[in-house]
Amino acid sequence: MSVRFENVSFRYPGGTGGVFDIDLEIATGELLAVIGPSGSGKSTLLKLLSGFAVPDTGRILVDGRDVTRLPPHERALGVVFQSYALFPHMSLWRNVAYPLKVRKIAKKERRARALDALARVGLADFAERAPPSLSGGQQQRVALARALVFSPRALLLDEPLSALDASLRNDLRDEIVRVQRGAGIATLHVTHDQEEALSMGDRVAVMHAGRLVQVAKPRELYDRPLNRTVAAFVGHANLWPGVVEAAGRVGTPLGLLACDTTGFANGAQVTVLARPEAVQPLAELPNASRPNVFYGLVNADRFLGAQRRCDLEVGSGIVRIETTIRTAIHAVSIPPEAIRLLPPDSTASQNPAHTGKPS
Amino acid sequence: MAHTNAPTGRSIPLAGRGIRLAFVLPALILLGLFFVLPLISVAREAAAENGAAFGRVLRDPVFWQGVKGSLVLGTLAPAFSVVVGFLVALHLSRLSEGVKALALFAISLPLTFSGLVIAYGFILVFGRSGFVTLLLAKLGADPAVVGGFIFSPVGLGLAYSYYLIPRVVLVMLPVLSNFDRSQIAAARSLGAGNITAHLDVLVPQVMPALITAFCLTSAVAIGAYGTALALVGTQVNILPLVLYSKISDAGSDFPAAAAISLLLMGLCCLVVGVAELFRPRRVV
Repeated sequence: MSVRFENVSFRYPGGTGGVFDIDLEIATGELLAVIGPSGSGKSTLLKLLSGFAVPDTGRILVDGRDVTRLPPHERALGVVFQSYALFPHMSLWRNVAYPLKVRKIAKKERRARALDALARVGLADFAERAPPSLSGGQQQRVALARALVFSPRALLLDEPLSALDASLRNDLRDEIVRVQRGAGIATLHVTHDQEEALSMGDRVAVMHAGRLVQVAKPRELYDRPLNRTVAAFVGHANLWPGVVEAAGRVGTPLGLLACDTTGFANGAQVTVLARPEAVQPLAELPNASRPNVFYGLVNADRFLGAQRRCDLEVGSGIVRIETTIRTAIHAVSIPPEAIRLLPPDSTASQNPAHTGKPS
Repeated sequence: MAHTNAPTGRSIPLAGRGIRLAFVLPALILLGLFFVLPLISVAREAAAENGAAFGRVLRDPVFWQGVKGSLVLGTLAPAFSVVVGFLVALHLSRLSEGVKALALFAISLPLTFSGLVIAYGFILVFGRSGFVTLLLAKLGADPAVVGGFIFSPVGLGLAYSYYLIPRVVLVMLPVLSNFDRSQIAAARSLGAGNITAHLDVLVPQVMPALITAFCLTSAVAIGAYGTALALVGTQVNILPLVLYSKISDAGSDFPAAAAISLLLMGLCCLVVGVAELFRPRRVV
């Protein structure tokens, strides 16, 4: 039960927004998380798959069947909405049994299946309760049970955790993944929370201005972003403009950085990426000569509990540091292997290694 | 002084009470002069001759025909208005705030006209020499049939709907605007067609407001007088016209008229009371 977008484009009538040239495949049992800034087209992607918008061009296939022009109720997709969208006038079991009711399944069977689905999300004892009497997390679990009770061809999650408290979100992430794994169906998870996407997704797709910029496994996306847009959106990042001055040497606002420049010619304009947690804070300048060591002044120091986030002014640039040490910081060392060079900002990269095919 | 020093709470400072009373007083005077005093006067009139007027009225078959006519008109016209008004409000609820405000302004306009003005408007448009009638005559429709429609009980119901529909829209629009439309999207994604989704999910949740709208418009229709008098005269038997016949040139039985007016008011209060029972207690 896979999902495939084939060259799908959709433009909102009278506007410039939409999605363009989407080629994406979600394999059976895979959870693909889609992230991107507001207006990037991630929710439009979900609307197109669920049938609430029809592509201008291209095809959408679910389980090999072309559903591009099918109305929502004929697609057999389970959708979990941000606002839960439970029916407040029905008890929990009737909510969960609703997709079975519209499929004309006998009342006795649909009640049994609804209770079973509620048990799988730990809410069997609440079957007769009304949705408004439940907490947000409980309501979202009911919505998940309802979306899966009729064995849909695919599961769509529309920012399902964004209305919940941070502590509850973490628990529910694990629960959604557990239930999704149990159901073994292709899942499209739209979220603006990159941590949620990285922790839940088998792969993560980054969208920008209606286009897929990169689709990759979470670690690859974080460690090897395709360009500045992805690097800036996924996780925290030091991004400096740079020029390759020689093999293994890049000029930056901090000064000359030693790093791998393979693939970039001398004189090439680049964006230099170094993740804040890879930057090593130093109490003082070391005596021995080490590459990429810079003296600087801390101009912002934020205590975050387990971590500390500092901005160090170095030359005409700023180095962001994320560290657990609590002592004074006067210098930083940026290991060459922690530096990655990216092409100048461009979102239209079509590197075949980063298209939407599952690996 | 203790009152004025109270930091918070429900107690209202004496000066505040005075100001509030000053604001309320004009309304109380108006209510007294134009509702309570006339009501007492009518009640006294009806109770004259030891309430014999009530007996006369209740034994009069014309009165019961009037009750029947009022109930039929007070059921069918509101039912039609509720269906149309609900659909209009449903459409309006999906529009942007600016367009919604403009449309509401236009829709509410009939409420500012008196029943007589509306009746004459209908006669000018749909009467025997009305604009629409003459237009349809050019297409071959018989003006006698088309023009006669507005003077029939069904035509009267249609004219009533002209000012009942806006009332339904005004009751339903806030409820529909606050309705979480993702529930409809959820129902559709779960396998329900568009109409089924609305019937299963939306209608049960807005039913109290629909019943309220029906009862309110029913009370208005039962009590309406000017439109009916101008359009059908006394050809259609409804309570307001029975009442009219008791005090018009043809009759002068004031105690009976007072008794009928009290019974008519009781009937309207009953219908409004039912509406109050079903009034939505919270925003859907």
